[in-house]
Amino acid sequence: MKRSYRGVILLCAVLFLNIIFTQKAIHQYYYEDYTATVIYAVLNLVLFPVALFIYYKEKNV
Amino acid sequence: MDKNNKIPFDEDNYTHNINKNNERKLDRRGFMKTMVGAAGLFAVSTLPWGSIAATELMGLREKKYPKKEIIDVKKLKVGDAFEFAYPTDHDSALLVRLGENEFKAYQNACTHLRCPVFWEQSKSELVCPCHHGFFDVKTGSPTAGPPRRPLPEITIQVEAGKIVATGVKRYET
Repeated sequence: MKRSYRGVILLCAVLFLNIIFTQKAIHQYYYEDYTATVIYAVLNLVLFPVALFIYYKEKNV
Repeated sequence: MDKNNKIPFDEDNYTHNINKNNERKLDRRGFMKTMVGAAGLFAVSTLPWGSIAATELMGLREKKYPKKEIIDVKKLKVGDAFEFAYPTDHDSALLVRLGENEFKAYQNACTHLRCPVFWEQSKSELVCPCHHGFFDVKTGSPTAGPPRRPLPEITIQVEAGKIVATGVKRYET
């Protein structure tokens, strides 16, 4: 049976964004740019429900 | 077909004759679950940074540093450096006397991996010996090596023949 790998690819993209946002948040923290740090931390938090949503959408496809 | 570990036969899978332990454990869905878990882990790991940044943002205006005497002007020759701790005892810092009335002070934790930075008088630069990071004394910005951010500069004054630290400059980003 053929499987759709769209979910896998989308989740890989989510994880890639996670890595970028984490690194950015930490770097901006050390640059004392606290607004940017908060923005990146929130973006990272938002990515988790997005990942869950993708999982439930794609698990039976 | 409805359960893992059962090999469905109407599948374009040419490895049925290969038996390995747990060969179907990390299938597509298992992989997706792992990715969701990783996303959760990343979200949790940025929480402390975000919350510290948020508290800093709220109290940024009132951020005040204590004045602290570093050393007598007479005790430090031109071209010499002196190590001290500012603003707390755990933040090591370096004062360099560049000229008769020219002083520069930086927090001397290298911005790469926080190794101590030293003053190399013969070459007139600040050196981090761990991975050969170099900093400009005049500005604190990195000139070579792995560090990317400048050293945080400490503002100083000369009061009654003594050098006094008054604060730490913010990055201008």
